[in-house]
Amino acid sequence: MDRRQFLISGIALGAAASLGVAGWHYSVQPNSDNRDWVLSAILPALLYDALPEDTTLAMAQLQRSKTAITDFIAFLPLSQQQELQQLFNLLAQRITELAFTGHFTTLAALSINQRLAILQQWRDSYLTTLQQAYHGLRELLYGAYYGQPEHWQPLAYTAPKFR
Amino acid sequence: MTTSQLDASQFTRDRHFETDIVIIGSGAGGGIAAEQLTQAGYKVLLLEEGAYYTRDNFVMEERWAYPNLYQEGAARKTRDKSIGILQGRTVGGSTTVNWTTSIRTPQPTLDYWQREFGLDFSNENDLTPFFEKAEQRLNIHQWPVPPNANNAKLQQGCEKLGWQYTVIKRNVNGCANLGYCGMGCPINAKQSMLVSTIPAALAQGATLISRLSVRKLHWQNDRITGVDAVPVDSHFQPRQDIHVSIVAKHYIVAAGAIGSPALLLRSKVPDPSGRLGKHTYLHPTVISGALFADDINGHSGAPQSIYSDQFVWPDTDNKPGYKLEVPPLHPVLMATKLIGTGAEHAALMQNFNQLQVVIALQRDGFHPQSQGGTVQLDQQQQPVLDYPISDYVWQGMREALLSMAELQFAAGAKQVLPIHHDAKLYNSWPEAKAAIAALPMEKLRQTVVSAHVMGGCNMSAEPTKGVVNQDGRHHQLKNLSVFDGSILPTSLGANPQLTIYALVWRNCHLLLNKFNTSVDSSR
Repeated sequence: MDRRQFLISGIALGAAASLGVAGWHYSVQPNSDNRDWVLSAILPALLYDALPEDTTLAMAQLQRSKTAITDFIAFLPLSQQQELQQLFNLLAQRITELAFTGHFTTLAALSINQRLAILQQWRDSYLTTLQQAYHGLRELLYGAYYGQPEHWQPLAYTAPKFR
Repeated sequence: MTTSQLDASQFTRDRHFETDIVIIGSGAGGGIAAEQLTQAGYKVLLLEEGAYYTRDNFVMEERWAYPNLYQEGAARKTRDKSIGILQGRTVGGSTTVNWTTSIRTPQPTLDYWQREFGLDFSNENDLTPFFEKAEQRLNIHQWPVPPNANNAKLQQGCEKLGWQYTVIKRNVNGCANLGYCGMGCPINAKQSMLVSTIPAALAQGATLISRLSVRKLHWQNDRITGVDAVPVDSHFQPRQDIHVSIVAKHYIVAAGAIGSPALLLRSKVPDPSGRLGKHTYLHPTVISGALFADDINGHSGAPQSIYSDQFVWPDTDNKPGYKLEVPPLHPVLMATKLIGTGAEHAALMQNFNQLQVVIALQRDGFHPQSQGGTVQLDQQQQPVLDYPISDYVWQGMREALLSMAELQFAAGAKQVLPIHHDAKLYNSWPEAKAAIAALPMEKLRQTVVSAHVMGGCNMSAEPTKGVVNQDGRHHQLKNLSVFDGSILPTSLGANPQLTIYALVWRNCHLLLNKFNTSVDSSR
């Protein structure tokens, strides 16, 4: 793993990310630690190739996306918010289990490609819940990232301004 | 701001309102009804769950528009998450955010309704005068400007292959060809309910209450006796702390094809046909992307100006039909629908301006194996649509992917990408054809979306086959009408706004006649 990848993949998007494999808490109640932990694991992987070369800028984009995700979730119906929270709890558990079996001790040690491989496993899982997790997180995370005008430079796109 | 416009989220105590007519929902149905009934001299109260946002709020950014103008932040999904649904939730409903395509109800659809549901829209029931009224009121004309490149490729593909295509009629006045219809028109060019019938109704004495969620209709014997509602919070979640009650002489439910059945289900109104909340149709839609050498810039220009009906009415009933159109392309819409992750996804996004996209809308509801979905209520009594996709519908989707790829290559595409999670960029029509034939047509592998929700309170001549009669009047409850897309007995095979405008205009006319000829029995 090169230095940029190491820094970006180790980004702590919430307080819980620093807890590494101990970060998972079992709960069906809203638990922002599990959400932060899953986002810290997945966001850098989904977006790595879209992020700017400059590491500081890249980290700022990740943080901005995470804030947008949190802001957006509040607009979902309560039942969907609950489902999403249960999903974050489940995924935090799965990533933790993978961490133990894969002999890595901190989240940062899990490379971008290893994380993308986990996402692929969810996509192709026989469990509908994990398939839904793959699609739900993809939409939520990509929507949050590409909703920000600061992230549009690679698209060669700007929205017209009237006022 | 005038006194005729109230924001329920500002209420600090319980409130009670009395009126002649209460209209629940301010979209295509509620908007038309508000103007017609106010003009006739009735005291009208128009209720809307969304906010009263206007042109000054429309900033042309998806990150603001989706959470603030759409149901569930534009992330509404069917129960098993296999279909994404775009539906408006704001004053003007979906008319505030739709792409302006205005099409009269296809004759074969009306013929099917007559055969299956006993609905007669011929002779004195002909909808033509009401299409004409709506077209005049909302300035619906064929779009005179050349199509943007995204639509032009659809046209060119059709020309190359000898397929039918039509230049679309749009409800715009002074349109600047911006391409941001889906985020609210920033210059009031789109003649949505927000800028046409609703302001006209308010000017003539109607009252609008926004950010108000109607929870229940009370009823006794054969009449509705009142409405319970609550304000919503800043994230449009129903609140518990303040209650609003409304009593009217006549009640019009126009909350859309998910919202209206949900309200009637919560209210446990009589449902002897067993069809309330059933047979909900979506025009389930599949997507095909294509990369062109030249710039497409699908974010710019009228989002929809060309459609093709080449495949919408096949010769045999055993094949589903589908309509070909294009969507506007904006960063969030694209990023969430494009397949893949990591480098693959980033590379596709870098081709944002070269991407052309065609969509195929399945005409659902015309076959025993295409009976639509069911509106259910979750623990918070909020609606969830269960829509299982049958093999018959999947088959139509595979054929649609084939047609779209063939068309895009014919129009000069370098590569075509069916939006299916097992697909990739294909370099030629033969390669795409072979690959699409082998794609597993399964939920959560084949991406499916919808922007048209129809049915759930279907009209029928006989009370045994529907929820309302041909005039939108509830079969069992005398002072209740349903005036929105939920009354459609099938999907349309065409974008629904103009059908809803005309049907509701007609139904208002009939309702007013009834009011005038009876002292009280129908009010």
